[in-house]
Amino acid sequence: MNSSFEVKALGWALVAVVISCGTAGLASILINSMPDSSSSSFHDFSSPVATTDLIDQGRNDYEQSCSLCHGDEATGDEGPNLHRLPVSNAYITVMIKKGIKGEMPSFAQKYDERQIAALVSYLRSLP
Amino acid sequence: MITIDPALWSRLHGASVHFPIALTLASLLFEGLEFLSPRMSSLKTQLHAAARFTIILGALGTIPAVCSGMLMTRGNPWGHDALLLHHLFVWPAFAGLVGLGTWRGLVGDPASRTGLAIYLTVLFLVTGLMAGAGYWGGELVLNS
Repeated sequence: MNSSFEVKALGWALVAVVISCGTAGLASILINSMPDSSSSSFHDFSSPVATTDLIDQGRNDYEQSCSLCHGDEATGDEGPNLHRLPVSNAYITVMIKKGIKGEMPSFAQKYDERQIAALVSYLRSLP
Repeated sequence: MITIDPALWSRLHGASVHFPIALTLASLLFEGLEFLSPRMSSLKTQLHAAARFTIILGALGTIPAVCSGMLMTRGNPWGHDALLLHHLFVWPAFAGLVGLGTWRGLVGDPASRTGLAIYLTVLFLVTGLMAGAGYWGGELVLNS
């Protein structure tokens, strides 16, 4: 095996990288454009114990503490869009409790477990 | 209507990502041992072959890992906070691993010292990127 073949193989390796990343990008767009179905739990991360009361309570707390940065409809403003968050309920709970350094305050002192669960339920109720 | 367990993709992702991680680390280990082993020994040849096949399998192993990850994040390639940091490491590691696997698969054992040196440097960098991706992936799971 000579070194000129190694250079040629490098070209093929780059082609493979471009094809792989391109395929991943296309797949990303395709998955993103897939329609949601309420009867399918494919995209459903919602809590099974979420009730209307809990969601309403979450909405009130959201309007008090979160809407300033995330927008009235939670579609994003200074902070990101919170519709269809691609992370677990537990992860959202931790984010609310701990905050994000330099970006979002901690709400662990302000809200108790039930209120945070209500906030998560409200976020999960967003279309 | 077929319903899919919403946690399926995260479980599959959690399971499948460890194959490319382990195989790439093993390949790096084999390359290191090969470097230390005596010249012209059969052990050297065996370690070279093991390093080659583990990197090829590692590159192939990225396919289920990336697919399950994209299904889990609903096609969002970046995200926010720890997920964004995870992705900033994942995509270069994915590209690097595919490139390394393809190159090593075609070349076999690098003939030139320059080729081998570049390959080992990139392999080391890709392993570092995978470690970063694994760390932030772990933060997503363990901090939640």
